[in-house]
Amino acid sequence: MSFLAPIWLALAGAAAVPLLIHLLRRRIGARVVFPAARYLARAEQEHSRKLRLRNLLVMFLRVLAVLCVAAAAARPVGRLAGVGHAPTALALVVDNSLSSSAVVDGRPVLGRLTAAADSALAATTPADRVWLVTADGATVGGSVAAVRRALGEVRPLAGSGDPAGAVRRAAALVRSSGVAEGVVAVVTDGQATSWPTPIALEDSRVAVHAPDVRPPANGAVLRAAAVPARWTPAGAVEGRVLAPAESAAYRITLGRRTLARGTVSAPRGGGEASLLVRAAPPERGWLPGTVELEPDELRGDDVRHFALWIGAAPRVTAGEGAGPFARTAVEALVQGGRAQAGAEVRVVSADELTALPALILAPADPVRLGAANRALERAGVPWRFGMVRRGESTIRFAGAARSAADVAASVRYTLVPQAGAAADTVARAGGEPWIVAGARYVIVGSALDPQSTSFPVRATFLPWLADAVSRLAAGGAGEVVEAVPGARLPRPSGVDALEAADGSRTPLAGDSVEVPARPGVYFYARGGERRGALVVNGDGGESVLARLSGAQLRSRFQGGSVEVEAGAAAWASSLFAASNRRSLVTPLLVAALLALAAEALAARGARRGRARPAAPAPAATRGAA
Amino acid sequence: MEPSRDANRADLFDPKTLAALGHIEIVARWVVDGFISGLHRSPRKGFSVEFAEYRPYQPGDDLRYLDWKIAARADRWVVKQFEEETNLRATIVLDVSRSMDWSGSPARLTKLAYGEQLAAAIALLLLRQRDAVGLVRFDSEVRTVLPPRARTGQWRRLVAALDDPGAGQASYAADALARAARLVGRPGMVILVSDLLMDVPEVERALRALRAAGHDVTVLHLMDPAERDLSLTGEAVFVDPETGLEVPAAVADVRDAYRATVDAAVEEWRRTLARAGAVYETLSTAEPFGVPLRLAFSARQHVLK
Repeated sequence: MSFLAPIWLALAGAAAVPLLIHLLRRRIGARVVFPAARYLARAEQEHSRKLRLRNLLVMFLRVLAVLCVAAAAARPVGRLAGVGHAPTALALVVDNSLSSSAVVDGRPVLGRLTAAADSALAATTPADRVWLVTADGATVGGSVAAVRRALGEVRPLAGSGDPAGAVRRAAALVRSSGVAEGVVAVVTDGQATSWPTPIALEDSRVAVHAPDVRPPANGAVLRAAAVPARWTPAGAVEGRVLAPAESAAYRITLGRRTLARGTVSAPRGGGEASLLVRAAPPERGWLPGTVELEPDELRGDDVRHFALWIGAAPRVTAGEGAGPFARTAVEALVQGGRAQAGAEVRVVSADELTALPALILAPADPVRLGAANRALERAGVPWRFGMVRRGESTIRFAGAARSAADVAASVRYTLVPQAGAAADTVARAGGEPWIVAGARYVIVGSALDPQSTSFPVRATFLPWLADAVSRLAAGGAGEVVEAVPGARLPRPSGVDALEAADGSRTPLAGDSVEVPARPGVYFYARGGERRGALVVNGDGGESVLARLSGAQLRSRFQGGSVEVEAGAAAWASSLFAASNRRSLVTPLLVAALLALAAEALAARGARRGRARPAAPAPAATRGAA
Repeated sequence: MEPSRDANRADLFDPKTLAALGHIEIVARWVVDGFISGLHRSPRKGFSVEFAEYRPYQPGDDLRYLDWKIAARADRWVVKQFEEETNLRATIVLDVSRSMDWSGSPARLTKLAYGEQLAAAIALLLLRQRDAVGLVRFDSEVRTVLPPRARTGQWRRLVAALDDPGAGQASYAADALARAARLVGRPGMVILVSDLLMDVPEVERALRALRAAGHDVTVLHLMDPAERDLSLTGEAVFVDPETGLEVPAAVADVRDAYRATVDAAVEEWRRTLARAGAVYETLSTAEPFGVPLRLAFSARQHVLK
């Protein structure tokens, strides 16, 4: 109960008046001579208990009446038993992110969440408007029955989804409903990674239910990748796992077979651990793979997928103009078995370019710039070298791994795209493209010598060169694209279908591809050939099941009013608490009248008598006759 | 009794109205005259056979004592009186304590004023019956003692005695009743007029002593209507004028209980006095004097039987 004009509660002080009257009534100043006072004393003595009770009752009723009037004057609003709630717009947000599939006490957390949401829906009336929004943004509205059906079909996502976006969407639905009373009702496991930052919700009312369940110890595969993505034919599988104990058993599969199996050690008490398995499998082409842990309470993150392309080692040759660093690097690749000597892929200075595929370097001598651009034109490469830039520029690679490398360019040429240029920018210098890659070429904007760039003397150079060469050797094999379920990606050029691991194909149309909801490896296909891989894995953050406290969770929602309840019943009943609130003025006034009526009944006319002092006896005189 | 005749009977007047018309002596005469005129026949009996004097006939006188010869000769209506015409010795014991000097309403006489009027009227009634009447007034002590006499002038002395000082703090009836018993001497009648705001056992013992001496005792319990019904209003501290007892009370709260208590007290008096062989009647100061007079007259007749 709250008050719209609480200052009037000061009137409650008037309740002291009947109390004082009750306490002081035996100290009344009026004195009346009454010869039969002995009978009065006897009557009071014999009926004192009854009189005291009646006086207490009268006093209580008077105090009650005063308090009711004071409370009524303060214009209270609150819930009234037996009165339904006003029409309400209810947008239910169910956080069905991967972590909600964790089994706690033999029951999935999502089951608890949907049960709570169902109890909220059960409390609605036909006048309410209801929606169901899940963490992936899916929205179902309409009748309560339809929403309850949809609620029954909610399944855990493979990733985190976008719970914050779902809440924003729900708030927008409530605001746009036109219903005076509205509430965004969120059911979540309260996972910290699901609610990383505060969500601005304007003046929306938010009621959050986060069941008070202890998250289980969780093991998870946080990363799985083939390094490099193209094996020629040797490579390694890198993994990072979250072990619930000091060790965890793992298995790596490749295609339909187990590539490796073992145990990875983790810090005492559990934590993250890395694993690396090298292999040179006999398979060729695109293959799916997994890194798996033993199943635990959260199954969804016990497997992580990766994809790789396996082919023969590329035959590489380095031209004279490529410089000593490039030639030495190629020789190192050949000696390491990651490449073969040959002319399948050339590493050349641009002015020496005669054929593709090639790794094209800027000429060391600016005088050769014209010849270089002519050679590019002849080879059909849609890029040209532009103006020379002198001065040190930091190189930033698009790949996260190499971006940390301390690479700089002192002399470089701007790379100018020509008509039809469609290439990935691999690295930038001073905000301008420095390395670009097409299907059959890779162009570097500097000569590979220490006077032009520090790249060839950095440790990252050789792996990058091996990857670039193998990519060029693979030609149109395509790339590995990683995505989370439900995301949208641009459709790679030239592909017309998405092939699942079971061989089924989904035709692709339009400019974008919707990432499948089910984790796994999918292959881009053109005709009957695989032209790249789409690896779908959940968000690694879902594996960290640490929960937010109630206060922390409350701070994540910046709405008009935010309530967080651990109890499902309390949460469900709080949803309509605001719309249950009615003015209590009339009931309080009625209560005051009833109290006064009861007081009058109890006092049986005493009120009239007490309105003035007792009529004093006349001063009797003798012999009045 | 015809209504027109009753309308002139002073014994049926409102006591307060009647008291305002004159002194107690006059009022008492009116009351007794009115009372006697209401009797169907003269109740006088037992006149002595030794002639003493004549006196004018008064309505109600027994016709047996009318002197028919004088009536025939001189057309005067006289009755014969004898030396020993008094066959009853009565003493009126009047409570003049402070509690008697109270009235619950300005429209009513105080209990004391009512009692004095009543005592005067009873005395006059008895004297007219040739009875000897005495008076004892008491409060915390015996204030006035007037031995029973039947002589002319006794009533005036009695009326004068009513003006004596009184209204002390308390009522001690035992001494007064014992004094009355001694005054009456041979068995007679004692009439106690009091509000009986005193201890029951003490009064009971005194009355038993009177009864043991052969006296007939009539107790007239005077009560103001406000004392009977607690018809006051409001809440106050109620003070007993005699004992100083203070009782804070809200009238509306205790009225029912008070009435029950008073009823119980009256019943206790009735039961106790009946056990002691006394006649007990409650009187309201709002009642006309005719009522108590009839009671007193009945008591006299009972004694004479």
